[in-house]
Amino acid sequence: MAMSRSEIFEKLNEVINMVMPALDVTETEITEDSNLVNDIGLSSVGILYVVIAIEEFFGIRFDDVGFADFETIKDVIDYIEKKI
Amino acid sequence: MNEKFRKYTTPETFERIVDFQNVTEMWTRCISEYANDIAIVDGENYTYAQLDEDVSRFRTVLKENNAGTGSLIGILCPNSYGFVKAFLAATTLGVAAVLLPAHMDVNTVFGVATKFGMKAVVYDESLEDRVALLREKNPSVALIPSSATASEKTAMIPVPAEATAAVLFTGGTTGKSKGAKISQRALMAGTKNGCYGVREIFGQRYLLVLPLTHVFGLIRNLMTSLYTGSTLFICRNNKDMFRDVAIFKPTIMVLVPALAEMALTLSVQFGRNMWGPDLKTIICGAAPVAQYLITEYAKRGIALLPGYGLTESANLVSGNIEPLKKPESVGLIYGGMEYKIVDGELWLKGVNMMSGYVSDEENDIAYEDGYFKTGDLVRIDEDGYLYITGRIKDIIVLSSGEKVSPAELEVKFCAIDTVQDCLVYDTTENGMHQLVLEVYPRFTKVKELGIEDINAHIKAEFERVNKTLPTFERINKLVIRDTDFIRTPAMKIARNLNGNVKK
Repeated sequence: MAMSRSEIFEKLNEVINMVMPALDVTETEITEDSNLVNDIGLSSVGILYVVIAIEEFFGIRFDDVGFADFETIKDVIDYIEKKI
Repeated sequence: MNEKFRKYTTPETFERIVDFQNVTEMWTRCISEYANDIAIVDGENYTYAQLDEDVSRFRTVLKENNAGTGSLIGILCPNSYGFVKAFLAATTLGVAAVLLPAHMDVNTVFGVATKFGMKAVVYDESLEDRVALLREKNPSVALIPSSATASEKTAMIPVPAEATAAVLFTGGTTGKSKGAKISQRALMAGTKNGCYGVREIFGQRYLLVLPLTHVFGLIRNLMTSLYTGSTLFICRNNKDMFRDVAIFKPTIMVLVPALAEMALTLSVQFGRNMWGPDLKTIICGAAPVAQYLITEYAKRGIALLPGYGLTESANLVSGNIEPLKKPESVGLIYGGMEYKIVDGELWLKGVNMMSGYVSDEENDIAYEDGYFKTGDLVRIDEDGYLYITGRIKDIIVLSSGEKVSPAELEVKFCAIDTVQDCLVYDTTENGMHQLVLEVYPRFTKVKELGIEDINAHIKAEFERVNKTLPTFERINKLVIRDTDFIRTPAMKIARNLNGNVKK
Protein backbone atom coordinates (compact mmCIF):
# COMPACT_ATOMS: atom_id res chain seq x y z
CA MET A 1 0.00 0.00 0.00
CA ALA A 2 1.66 3.24 -1.10
CA MET A 3 0.83 6.06 1.30
CA SER A 4 2.51 9.36 1.91
CA ARG A 5 3.46 10.44 5.40
CA SER A 6 0.63 12.94 5.51
CA GLU A 7 -1.85 10.28 4.40
CA ILE A 8 -0.63 8.01 7.21
CA PHE A 9 -0.99 10.87 9.67
CA GLU A 10 -4.49 11.59 8.46
CA LYS A 11 -5.48 7.92 8.70
CA LEU A 12 -3.94 7.65 12.15
CA ASN A 13 -5.90 10.66 13.27
CA GLU A 14 -9.02 9.00 11.94
CA VAL A 15 -8.19 5.80 13.82
CA ILE A 16 -7.72 7.64 17.11
CA ASN A 17 -10.87 9.61 16.49
CA MET A 18 -12.74 6.40 15.83
CA VAL A 19 -11.64 4.47 18.88
CA MET A 20 -11.73 7.33 21.32
CA PRO A 21 -15.10 8.92 20.70
CA ALA A 22 -15.06 10.56 24.10
CA LEU A 23 -11.87 12.40 23.23
CA ASP A 24 -12.43 15.68 21.46
CA VAL A 25 -9.57 15.35 19.02
CA THR A 26 -10.42 18.46 17.07
CA GLU A 27 -9.73 20.55 20.13
CA THR A 28 -6.84 18.47 21.34
CA GLU A 29 -5.21 18.98 17.93
CA ILE A 30 -3.05 15.96 17.42
CA THR A 31 0.33 16.70 15.90
CA GLU A 32 3.33 14.51 15.18
CA ASP A 33 4.78 15.65 18.50
CA SER A 34 1.70 14.69 20.52
CA ASN A 35 2.57 12.35 23.34
CA LEU A 36 0.30 9.29 23.27
CA VAL A 37 -0.29 9.16 27.01
CA ASN A 38 0.15 12.72 28.20
CA ASP A 39 -1.30 14.72 25.32
CA ILE A 40 -3.79 12.37 23.70
CA GLY A 41 -4.77 10.71 26.93
CA LEU A 42 -4.55 7.09 25.83
CA SER A 43 -5.08 4.62 28.67
CA SER A 44 -3.71 1.08 28.49
CA VAL A 45 -6.98 -0.07 26.96
CA GLY A 46 -7.00 2.98 24.68
CA ILE A 47 -3.59 1.96 23.40
CA LEU A 48 -4.90 -1.55 22.75
CA TYR A 49 -7.80 -0.06 20.76
CA VAL A 50 -5.45 1.97 18.63
CA VAL A 51 -3.07 -0.92 17.98
CA ILE A 52 -5.87 -3.24 16.87
CA ALA A 53 -7.40 -0.54 14.69
CA ILE A 54 -4.05 0.39 13.11
CA GLU A 55 -3.34 -3.24 12.31
CA GLU A 56 -6.76 -3.59 10.73
CA PHE A 57 -6.64 -0.34 8.77
CA PHE A 58 -3.06 -0.48 7.57
CA GLY A 59 -2.82 -4.25 7.21
CA ILE A 60 0.34 -4.41 9.30
CA ARG A 61 1.34 -6.23 12.48
CA PHE A 62 3.21 -4.88 15.44
CA ASP A 63 5.16 -8.09 15.64
CA ASP A 64 8.63 -6.88 16.55
CA VAL A 65 7.82 -4.03 18.91
CA GLY A 66 5.50 -3.22 21.80
CA PHE A 67 3.23 -0.23 21.39
CA ALA A 68 4.34 0.95 24.82
CA ASP A 69 7.73 1.64 23.22
CA PHE A 70 6.20 4.50 21.25
CA GLU A 71 6.01 7.88 22.89
CA THR A 72 4.67 10.17 20.22
CA ILE A 73 2.54 10.09 17.09
CA LYS A 74 5.73 10.60 15.12
CA ASP A 75 7.15 7.31 16.45
CA VAL A 76 4.00 5.49 15.34
CA ILE A 77 4.05 7.05 11.87
CA ASP A 78 7.73 6.15 11.47
CA TYR A 79 6.92 2.55 12.30
CA ILE A 80 3.90 2.35 10.00
CA GLU A 81 5.91 3.94 7.20
CA LYS A 82 8.52 1.21 7.52
CA LYS A 83 5.98 -1.60 7.59
CA ILE A 84 3.68 -0.72 4.67
CA MET B 1 -27.99 -23.02 48.98
CA ASN B 2 -27.69 -22.01 45.35
CA GLU B 3 -31.27 -23.05 44.54
CA LYS B 4 -32.05 -19.55 43.31
CA PHE B 5 -29.76 -20.21 40.34
CA ARG B 6 -31.38 -23.54 39.39
CA LYS B 7 -33.81 -22.22 36.81
CA TYR B 8 -31.03 -20.56 34.83
CA THR B 9 -29.34 -23.84 33.89
CA THR B 10 -30.52 -27.14 32.51
CA PRO B 11 -31.40 -29.71 35.23
CA GLU B 12 -28.49 -31.92 34.15
CA THR B 13 -26.08 -29.03 34.38
CA PHE B 14 -27.29 -27.98 37.79
CA GLU B 15 -26.72 -31.48 39.20
CA ARG B 16 -23.16 -31.52 37.94
CA ILE B 17 -22.26 -28.35 39.82
CA VAL B 18 -21.02 -29.91 43.04
CA ASP B 19 -18.78 -28.96 45.95
CA PHE B 20 -15.13 -29.94 45.97
CA GLN B 21 -12.98 -29.47 49.04
CA ASN B 22 -9.70 -29.17 47.19
CA VAL B 23 -8.22 -28.97 43.70
CA THR B 24 -7.27 -32.64 43.82
CA GLU B 25 -10.96 -33.64 44.04
CA MET B 26 -11.83 -31.41 41.10
CA TRP B 27 -8.90 -32.58 39.01
CA THR B 28 -9.74 -36.23 39.71
CA ARG B 29 -13.16 -35.67 38.12
CA CYS B 30 -11.60 -33.74 35.23
CA ILE B 31 -9.23 -36.52 34.22
CA SER B 32 -11.87 -39.15 34.73
CA GLU B 33 -14.53 -37.45 32.61
CA TYR B 34 -12.67 -35.26 30.11
CA ALA B 35 -9.37 -37.09 29.48
CA ASN B 36 -9.51 -36.83 25.71
CA ASP B 37 -11.02 -33.36 25.55
CA ILE B 38 -8.80 -30.37 24.93
CA ALA B 39 -8.06 -28.51 28.15
CA ILE B 40 -5.64 -25.81 27.00
CA VAL B 41 -4.68 -24.29 23.67
CA ASP B 42 -1.39 -22.42 23.84
CA GLY B 43 0.30 -22.71 20.48
CA GLU B 44 -0.68 -26.37 20.51
CA ASN B 45 -3.56 -28.38 21.93
CA TYR B 46 -3.20 -30.09 25.31
CA THR B 47 -5.83 -32.63 26.33
CA TYR B 48 -6.81 -33.08 29.94
CA ALA B 49 -4.83 -36.36 29.90
CA GLN B 50 -1.73 -34.63 28.50
CA LEU B 51 -2.02 -31.82 31.02
CA ASP B 52 -2.38 -34.38 33.81
CA GLU B 53 0.75 -36.18 32.60
CA ASP B 54 2.76 -32.94 32.55
CA VAL B 55 1.38 -31.85 35.92
CA SER B 56 2.32 -35.22 37.44
CA ARG B 57 5.91 -34.78 36.29
CA PHE B 58 6.00 -31.19 37.46
CA ARG B 59 5.01 -32.30 40.96
CA THR B 60 8.20 -34.37 40.90
CA VAL B 61 10.16 -31.29 39.81
CA LEU B 62 8.78 -29.37 42.78
CA LYS B 63 9.67 -32.15 45.20
CA GLU B 64 13.16 -32.48 43.76
CA ASN B 65 13.64 -28.77 44.41
CA ASN B 66 12.75 -28.97 48.06
CA ALA B 67 9.30 -27.53 47.36
CA GLY B 68 7.12 -30.40 48.52
CA THR B 69 3.87 -30.55 50.45
CA GLY B 70 3.45 -27.72 52.95
CA SER B 71 5.92 -25.39 51.26
CA LEU B 72 5.35 -22.14 49.45
CA ILE B 73 6.49 -21.23 45.95
CA GLY B 74 6.20 -18.28 43.59
CA ILE B 75 4.89 -18.52 40.03
CA LEU B 76 6.28 -15.83 37.77
CA CYS B 77 4.84 -16.57 34.35
CA PRO B 78 2.77 -14.71 31.79
CA ASN B 79 -0.48 -16.40 30.77
CA SER B 80 0.83 -19.70 29.42
CA TYR B 81 0.55 -23.45 29.53
CA GLY B 82 3.54 -23.37 31.88
CA PHE B 83 1.58 -21.26 34.37
CA VAL B 84 -1.39 -23.66 34.30
CA LYS B 85 0.87 -26.68 34.71
CA ALA B 86 2.78 -25.17 37.64
CA PHE B 87 -0.38 -23.97 39.40
CA LEU B 88 -2.12 -27.34 39.13
CA ALA B 89 1.02 -29.21 40.22
CA ALA B 90 1.40 -27.00 43.30
CA THR B 91 -2.24 -27.04 44.36
CA THR B 92 -2.60 -30.83 43.97
CA LEU B 93 0.55 -31.39 46.00
CA GLY B 94 -0.42 -29.13 48.89
CA VAL B 95 2.06 -26.43 47.91
CA ALA B 96 0.87 -22.83 48.24
CA ALA B 97 1.43 -20.80 45.06
CA VAL B 98 2.14 -17.08 45.32
CA LEU B 99 1.12 -15.57 42.00
CA LEU B 100 3.66 -12.96 40.98
CA PRO B 101 2.38 -10.54 38.31
CA ALA B 102 4.45 -10.75 35.13
CA HIS B 103 5.25 -7.02 35.33
CA MET B 104 6.79 -7.36 38.81
CA ASP B 105 10.31 -5.93 38.79
CA VAL B 106 13.48 -7.76 39.76
CA ASN B 107 13.81 -6.08 43.17
CA THR B 108 10.22 -6.82 44.17
CA VAL B 109 10.53 -10.45 43.08
CA PHE B 110 13.60 -10.74 45.28
CA GLY B 111 11.90 -8.96 48.19
CA VAL B 112 8.66 -10.95 48.06
CA ALA B 113 10.37 -14.34 47.60
CA THR B 114 12.70 -13.65 50.51
CA LYS B 115 10.08 -12.18 52.83
CA PHE B 116 7.59 -14.96 52.17
CA GLY B 117 10.24 -17.67 52.63
CA MET B 118 9.56 -19.27 49.27
CA LYS B 119 11.23 -22.58 48.57
CA ALA B 120 11.20 -22.01 44.85
CA VAL B 121 10.10 -19.67 42.09
CA VAL B 122 8.75 -21.18 38.89
CA TYR B 123 9.50 -18.73 36.11
CA ASP B 124 8.94 -18.39 32.41
CA GLU B 125 12.21 -18.19 30.48
CA SER B 126 11.11 -14.87 28.96
CA LEU B 127 11.22 -13.39 32.49
CA GLU B 128 14.62 -14.76 33.44
CA ASP B 129 15.97 -11.25 34.13
CA ARG B 130 13.40 -10.84 36.93
CA VAL B 131 14.92 -13.65 38.98
CA ALA B 132 18.51 -12.49 38.49
CA LEU B 133 18.76 -10.82 41.90
CA LEU B 134 17.25 -13.82 43.58
CA ARG B 135 19.75 -16.08 41.86
CA GLU B 136 22.61 -13.86 43.01
CA LYS B 137 21.57 -12.97 46.56
CA ASN B 138 19.32 -15.75 47.80
CA PRO B 139 20.46 -19.14 46.47
CA SER B 140 18.23 -20.92 48.99
CA VAL B 141 15.28 -20.20 46.67
CA ALA B 142 15.29 -22.77 43.86
CA LEU B 143 14.67 -21.27 40.43
CA ILE B 144 12.66 -23.59 38.21
CA PRO B 145 11.93 -22.87 34.54
CA SER B 146 8.26 -23.54 33.83
CA SER B 147 9.32 -25.86 31.00
CA ALA B 148 11.09 -28.19 33.47
CA THR B 149 9.99 -31.81 33.62
CA ALA B 150 11.01 -35.08 35.27
CA SER B 151 11.20 -38.69 34.21
CA GLU B 152 9.15 -39.85 37.20
CA LYS B 153 5.58 -38.91 38.01
CA THR B 154 4.30 -37.93 41.46
CA ALA B 155 0.69 -38.61 42.40
CA MET B 156 -1.59 -35.86 43.65
CA ILE B 157 -2.61 -35.95 47.28
CA PRO B 158 -5.78 -35.14 49.23
CA VAL B 159 -4.87 -31.67 50.43
CA PRO B 160 -6.66 -30.35 53.56
CA ALA B 161 -9.46 -27.95 52.61
CA GLU B 162 -8.07 -25.23 54.85
CA ALA B 163 -4.53 -25.38 53.39
CA THR B 164 -3.50 -22.28 51.44
CA ALA B 165 -3.78 -22.91 47.71
CA ALA B 166 -2.83 -19.49 46.41
CA VAL B 167 -1.68 -16.08 47.49
CA LEU B 168 -2.91 -13.28 45.25
CA PHE B 169 -1.83 -9.67 45.45
CA THR B 170 -4.46 -7.02 45.85
CA GLY B 171 -4.76 -3.34 46.60
CA GLY B 172 -7.47 -4.30 49.12
CA THR B 173 -9.19 -1.72 51.20
CA THR B 174 -6.16 0.41 51.99
CA GLY B 175 -4.60 0.66 48.56
CA LYS B 176 -1.32 -0.83 49.73
CA SER B 177 -0.42 -4.01 47.86
CA LYS B 178 -0.77 -7.10 50.02
CA GLY B 179 -1.15 -10.85 49.68
CA ALA B 180 -4.54 -12.54 50.20
CA LYS B 181 -4.35 -16.19 51.24
CA ILE B 182 -6.93 -18.30 49.40
CA SER B 183 -7.53 -21.76 50.85
CA GLN B 184 -8.22 -24.87 48.79
CA ARG B 185 -11.87 -24.77 49.90
CA ALA B 186 -12.24 -21.09 49.05
CA LEU B 187 -10.64 -21.61 45.65
CA MET B 188 -13.08 -24.40 44.89
CA ALA B 189 -16.09 -22.45 46.21
CA GLY B 190 -15.16 -19.49 44.02
CA THR B 191 -14.69 -21.79 41.04
CA LYS B 192 -18.09 -23.38 41.61
CA ASN B 193 -19.80 -20.00 41.91
CA GLY B 194 -18.60 -19.24 38.41
CA CYS B 195 -20.67 -22.15 37.08
CA TYR B 196 -24.06 -20.64 37.83
CA GLY B 197 -26.19 -18.47 35.58
CA VAL B 198 -25.27 -19.92 32.18
CA ARG B 199 -27.66 -22.46 30.71
CA GLU B 200 -24.97 -24.84 29.45
CA ILE B 201 -21.74 -24.23 31.33
CA PHE B 202 -19.96 -27.54 30.67
CA GLY B 203 -17.90 -28.14 27.55
CA GLN B 204 -17.57 -24.49 26.54
CA ARG B 205 -14.76 -22.64 24.74
CA TYR B 206 -13.09 -19.79 26.67
CA LEU B 207 -10.54 -17.35 25.32
CA LEU B 208 -8.27 -16.05 28.07
CA VAL B 209 -7.31 -12.37 27.92
CA LEU B 210 -7.20 -11.45 31.62
CA PRO B 211 -4.02 -12.10 33.60
CA LEU B 212 -3.96 -15.36 35.53
CA THR B 213 -2.43 -13.51 38.46
CA HIS B 214 -5.72 -11.60 38.78
CA VAL B 215 -8.47 -13.41 40.68
CA PHE B 216 -10.97 -12.96 37.84
CA GLY B 217 -8.59 -14.52 35.33
CA LEU B 218 -7.44 -17.29 37.64
CA ILE B 219 -10.74 -18.43 39.09
CA ARG B 220 -13.61 -17.47 36.78
CA ASN B 221 -11.58 -18.02 33.65
CA LEU B 222 -9.03 -20.79 34.23
CA MET B 223 -10.47 -22.77 37.13
CA THR B 224 -14.10 -22.67 36.04
CA SER B 225 -13.03 -23.65 32.54
CA LEU B 226 -11.22 -26.72 33.92
CA TYR B 227 -14.02 -27.53 36.36
CA THR B 228 -16.50 -27.68 33.50
CA GLY B 229 -14.34 -29.71 31.11
CA SER B 230 -14.13 -26.72 28.81
CA THR B 231 -11.28 -25.60 26.57
CA LEU B 232 -9.21 -22.54 27.41
CA PHE B 233 -7.42 -20.81 24.54
CA ILE B 234 -4.59 -18.67 25.89
CA CYS B 235 -4.30 -15.37 24.05
CA ARG B 236 -0.61 -14.50 24.41
CA ASN B 237 -0.95 -10.87 23.35
CA ASN B 238 -4.20 -8.99 23.76
CA LYS B 239 -3.64 -7.07 20.56
CA ASP B 240 -4.09 -10.40 18.78
CA MET B 241 -7.30 -11.30 20.59
CA PHE B 242 -9.57 -10.89 17.59
CA ARG B 243 -7.26 -12.95 15.40
CA ASP B 244 -7.43 -15.62 18.09
CA VAL B 245 -11.21 -15.25 18.21
CA ALA B 246 -11.39 -15.90 14.46
CA ILE B 247 -9.38 -19.10 14.89
CA PHE B 248 -10.89 -20.40 18.11
CA LYS B 249 -14.47 -19.08 18.03
CA PRO B 250 -15.04 -18.82 21.80
CA THR B 251 -18.48 -19.39 23.30
CA ILE B 252 -17.82 -17.53 26.57
CA MET B 253 -15.59 -14.55 27.33
CA VAL B 254 -14.57 -13.31 30.77
CA LEU B 255 -13.94 -9.60 30.40
CA VAL B 256 -13.51 -6.30 32.11
CA PRO B 257 -16.01 -3.68 30.85
CA ALA B 258 -13.38 -1.73 28.93
CA LEU B 259 -12.60 -4.72 26.71
CA ALA B 260 -16.30 -5.47 26.18
CA GLU B 261 -16.76 -1.87 25.14
CA MET B 262 -13.75 -1.89 22.85
CA ALA B 263 -15.03 -4.93 20.98
CA LEU B 264 -18.42 -3.32 20.59
CA THR B 265 -16.91 -0.14 19.15
CA LEU B 266 -14.71 -2.08 16.76
CA SER B 267 -17.64 -4.27 15.70
CA VAL B 268 -19.55 -1.15 14.68
CA GLN B 269 -16.59 0.44 12.95
CA PHE B 270 -15.44 -2.61 11.04
CA GLY B 271 -18.98 -3.78 10.31
CA ARG B 272 -18.52 -7.29 11.65
CA ASN B 273 -18.99 -9.08 14.94
CA MET B 274 -15.50 -9.03 16.46
CA TRP B 275 -16.40 -11.90 18.81
CA GLY B 276 -17.20 -14.30 16.01
CA PRO B 277 -20.36 -16.31 15.40
CA ASP B 278 -20.36 -18.57 18.47
CA LEU B 279 -20.07 -16.20 21.42
CA LYS B 280 -23.19 -16.41 23.56
CA THR B 281 -22.07 -15.14 26.98
CA ILE B 282 -19.81 -12.48 28.42
CA ILE B 283 -19.03 -12.59 32.13
CA CYS B 284 -18.17 -9.01 32.98
CA GLY B 285 -16.73 -7.55 36.16
CA ALA B 286 -13.78 -6.07 38.04
CA ALA B 287 -15.17 -2.58 37.33
CA PRO B 288 -18.64 -1.03 37.03
CA VAL B 289 -20.55 -2.28 33.98
CA ALA B 290 -22.37 0.33 31.89
CA GLN B 291 -26.01 -0.50 31.17
CA TYR B 292 -25.66 0.18 27.50
CA LEU B 293 -23.15 -2.65 27.20
CA ILE B 294 -25.81 -5.04 28.47
CA THR B 295 -28.46 -3.81 26.06
CA GLU B 296 -26.16 -3.48 23.04
CA TYR B 297 -24.82 -7.00 23.47
CA ALA B 298 -28.35 -8.32 24.01
CA LYS B 299 -29.28 -6.88 20.60
CA ARG B 300 -26.50 -9.00 19.17
CA GLY B 301 -27.71 -12.17 20.89
CA ILE B 302 -24.99 -12.11 23.54
CA ALA B 303 -25.87 -12.20 27.24
CA LEU B 304 -23.55 -9.89 29.15
CA LEU B 305 -23.72 -10.89 32.81
CA PRO B 306 -22.28 -8.43 35.32
CA GLY B 307 -20.86 -9.71 38.57
CA TYR B 308 -19.16 -8.50 41.68
CA GLY B 309 -16.15 -10.03 43.31
CA LEU B 310 -13.00 -9.41 45.25
CA THR B 311 -9.61 -11.01 45.50
CA GLU B 312 -10.44 -11.57 49.16
CA SER B 313 -13.57 -13.56 48.25
CA ALA B 314 -11.85 -15.90 45.78
CA ASN B 315 -13.55 -13.91 43.06
CA LEU B 316 -17.32 -14.00 42.74
CA VAL B 317 -19.55 -12.66 45.50
CA SER B 318 -22.59 -12.15 43.28
CA GLY B 319 -23.69 -12.64 39.71
CA ASN B 320 -26.47 -10.98 37.74
CA ILE B 321 -28.45 -13.53 35.75
CA GLU B 322 -31.24 -11.08 34.93
CA PRO B 323 -29.21 -8.18 33.52
CA LEU B 324 -31.99 -6.90 31.28
CA LYS B 325 -34.42 -6.69 34.19
CA LYS B 326 -31.92 -5.33 36.70
CA PRO B 327 -29.17 -3.70 34.65
CA GLU B 328 -27.76 -1.65 37.50
CA SER B 329 -27.32 -4.61 39.80
CA VAL B 330 -24.30 -6.86 40.29
CA GLY B 331 -26.70 -9.69 40.99
CA LEU B 332 -27.60 -12.26 43.58
CA ILE B 333 -25.16 -13.24 46.29
CA TYR B 334 -23.90 -16.80 45.90
CA GLY B 335 -24.59 -19.45 48.53
CA GLY B 336 -22.20 -20.27 51.33
CA MET B 337 -21.73 -16.64 52.23
CA GLU B 338 -23.04 -14.57 55.09
CA TYR B 339 -23.26 -10.84 54.81
CA LYS B 340 -24.36 -7.82 56.72
CA ILE B 341 -24.49 -4.17 55.81
CA VAL B 342 -22.98 -1.85 58.38
CA ASP B 343 -23.38 1.88 57.78
CA GLY B 344 -23.88 1.04 54.12
CA GLU B 345 -20.68 -1.02 53.89
CA LEU B 346 -20.83 -4.68 52.84
CA TRP B 347 -19.29 -7.13 55.32
CA LEU B 348 -18.76 -10.75 54.28
CA LYS B 349 -17.83 -14.13 55.66
CA GLY B 350 -18.20 -17.62 54.24
CA VAL B 351 -16.62 -20.55 52.45
CA ASN B 352 -15.11 -18.61 49.61
CA MET B 353 -13.56 -15.88 51.74
CA MET B 354 -9.77 -15.68 52.09
CA SER B 355 -8.10 -17.05 55.20
CA GLY B 356 -6.62 -13.59 55.71
CA TYR B 357 -3.84 -11.39 54.44
CA VAL B 358 -0.27 -12.58 54.80
CA SER B 359 0.45 -9.75 57.20
CA ASP B 360 -1.32 -9.92 60.57
CA GLU B 361 -1.15 -6.16 60.79
CA GLU B 362 -3.39 -5.90 57.71
CA ASN B 363 -5.85 -8.40 59.19
CA ASP B 364 -6.32 -6.27 62.27
CA ILE B 365 -8.00 -3.57 60.23
CA ALA B 366 -9.63 -5.76 57.57
CA TYR B 367 -11.95 -7.69 59.88
CA GLU B 368 -14.54 -6.89 62.49
CA ASP B 369 -16.82 -9.25 64.33
CA GLY B 370 -15.54 -12.12 62.17
CA TYR B 371 -16.55 -10.37 58.94
CA PHE B 372 -14.33 -9.03 56.19
CA LYS B 373 -15.07 -5.36 55.59
CA THR B 374 -15.18 -4.89 51.82
CA GLY B 375 -14.95 -1.11 51.75
CA ASP B 376 -17.82 -1.10 49.22
CA LEU B 377 -21.05 0.73 49.88
CA VAL B 378 -24.07 -1.30 48.81
CA ARG B 379 -27.80 -1.76 48.94
CA ILE B 380 -29.96 -4.84 48.37
CA ASP B 381 -33.41 -4.69 46.77
CA GLU B 382 -36.53 -6.61 47.65
CA ASP B 383 -35.56 -9.48 45.33
CA GLY B 384 -32.16 -9.86 46.94
CA TYR B 385 -30.23 -8.12 44.15
CA LEU B 386 -27.08 -6.33 45.18
CA TYR B 387 -26.13 -2.81 44.04
CA ILE B 388 -22.76 -1.11 44.55
CA THR B 389 -23.40 2.50 45.43
CA GLY B 390 -19.91 3.73 46.17
CA ARG B 391 -16.52 2.92 47.53
CA ILE B 392 -15.11 3.85 50.86
CA LYS B 393 -11.62 3.50 49.67
CA ASP B 394 -9.82 6.08 47.64
CA ILE B 395 -8.36 3.49 45.35
CA ILE B 396 -9.05 4.25 41.71
CA VAL B 397 -10.42 1.37 39.65
CA LEU B 398 -9.75 1.99 35.97
CA SER B 399 -12.25 0.85 33.37
CA SER B 400 -9.78 -1.93 32.56
CA GLY B 401 -10.22 -3.24 36.10
CA GLU B 402 -6.66 -2.29 37.01
CA LYS B 403 -6.32 -0.54 40.33
CA VAL B 404 -4.31 2.56 41.00
CA SER B 405 -3.39 3.89 44.39
CA PRO B 406 -3.28 7.72 44.17
CA ALA B 407 -1.14 7.98 47.28
CA GLU B 408 1.55 5.72 45.84
CA LEU B 409 1.71 7.79 42.64
CA GLU B 410 1.74 11.09 44.49
CA VAL B 411 4.83 10.04 46.40
CA LYS B 412 6.64 9.51 43.11
CA PHE B 413 5.72 12.90 41.65
CA CYS B 414 6.34 14.72 44.89
CA ALA B 415 9.91 13.45 44.73
CA ILE B 416 10.52 16.13 42.06
CA ASP B 417 12.22 18.91 43.92
CA THR B 418 10.28 21.67 42.17
CA VAL B 419 6.96 20.07 43.14
CA GLN B 420 5.61 21.14 46.49
CA ASP B 421 2.55 19.00 46.52
CA CYS B 422 0.36 17.07 44.16
CA LEU B 423 -2.89 15.18 43.89
CA VAL B 424 -3.87 12.24 41.68
CA TYR B 425 -7.49 11.59 40.82
CA ASP B 426 -9.57 10.15 38.02
CA THR B 427 -12.16 11.71 35.78
CA THR B 428 -14.93 9.83 34.07
CA GLU B 429 -16.42 12.48 31.88
CA ASN B 430 -18.19 11.16 28.78
CA GLY B 431 -17.34 7.63 29.83
CA MET B 432 -13.62 8.26 29.38
CA HIS B 433 -11.53 7.30 32.34
CA GLN B 434 -8.44 9.41 32.79
CA LEU B 435 -5.84 9.76 35.48
CA VAL B 436 -5.09 13.37 36.28
CA LEU B 437 -2.18 14.80 38.21
CA GLU B 438 -2.47 18.26 39.70
CA VAL B 439 0.76 19.84 40.76
CA TYR B 440 1.48 22.81 42.94
CA PRO B 441 5.05 23.95 42.20
CA ARG B 442 7.63 24.75 44.83
CA PHE B 443 8.20 28.34 43.72
CA THR B 444 11.16 28.95 45.98
CA LYS B 445 13.09 26.14 44.37
CA VAL B 446 12.01 27.25 40.92
CA LYS B 447 13.43 30.70 41.64
CA GLU B 448 16.59 29.28 43.15
CA LEU B 449 17.26 27.23 40.04
CA GLY B 450 16.63 30.24 37.80
CA ILE B 451 13.93 28.42 35.83
CA GLU B 452 12.10 30.81 33.56
CA ASP B 453 9.47 28.64 31.93
CA ILE B 454 8.02 26.84 34.91
CA ASN B 455 5.33 25.02 32.95
CA ALA B 456 7.83 23.56 30.50
CA HIS B 457 10.09 22.52 33.34
CA ILE B 458 7.34 20.81 35.34
CA LYS B 459 6.04 19.12 32.21
CA ALA B 460 9.48 17.73 31.39
CA GLU B 461 9.99 16.47 34.94
CA PHE B 462 6.50 15.01 34.96
CA GLU B 463 7.15 13.13 31.73
CA ARG B 464 10.43 11.79 33.07
CA VAL B 465 8.69 10.26 36.10
CA ASN B 466 5.59 9.20 34.18
CA LYS B 467 7.67 7.13 31.78
CA THR B 468 8.97 5.02 34.65
CA LEU B 469 5.46 3.87 35.61
CA PRO B 470 3.65 0.79 34.29
CA THR B 471 1.42 1.85 31.37
CA PHE B 472 -1.83 1.53 33.27
CA GLU B 473 -0.54 3.75 36.08
CA ARG B 474 0.60 6.54 33.80
CA ILE B 475 -1.02 9.90 34.19
CA ASN B 476 -2.99 11.06 31.18
CA LYS B 477 -3.35 14.71 32.05
CA LEU B 478 -1.21 17.19 33.93
CA VAL B 479 -2.62 20.32 35.55
CA ILE B 480 -0.22 22.89 36.98
CA ARG B 481 -1.80 25.02 39.68
CA ASP B 482 -0.92 28.58 40.56
CA THR B 483 -2.63 28.36 43.93
CA ASP B 484 -2.19 25.84 46.69
CA PHE B 485 -4.68 23.06 47.36
CA ILE B 486 -7.45 23.46 49.89
CA ARG B 487 -6.21 21.68 52.97
CA THR B 488 -7.55 20.01 56.09
CA PRO B 489 -6.72 21.39 59.52
CA ALA B 490 -3.87 18.89 59.61
CA MET B 491 -2.54 20.53 56.42
CA LYS B 492 -3.27 17.49 54.30
CA ILE B 493 -4.84 18.04 50.92
CA ALA B 494 -8.60 17.73 51.24
CA ARG B 495 -8.71 14.93 48.69
CA ASN B 496 -12.39 14.83 47.90
CA LEU B 497 -13.08 18.53 47.93
CA ASN B 498 -14.37 19.97 44.66
CA GLY B 499 -12.10 22.98 44.86
CA ASN B 500 -9.11 20.69 44.65
CA VAL B 501 -9.91 19.18 41.31
CA LYS B 502 -10.29 21.08 38.08
CA LYS B 503 -12.50 18.58 36.28
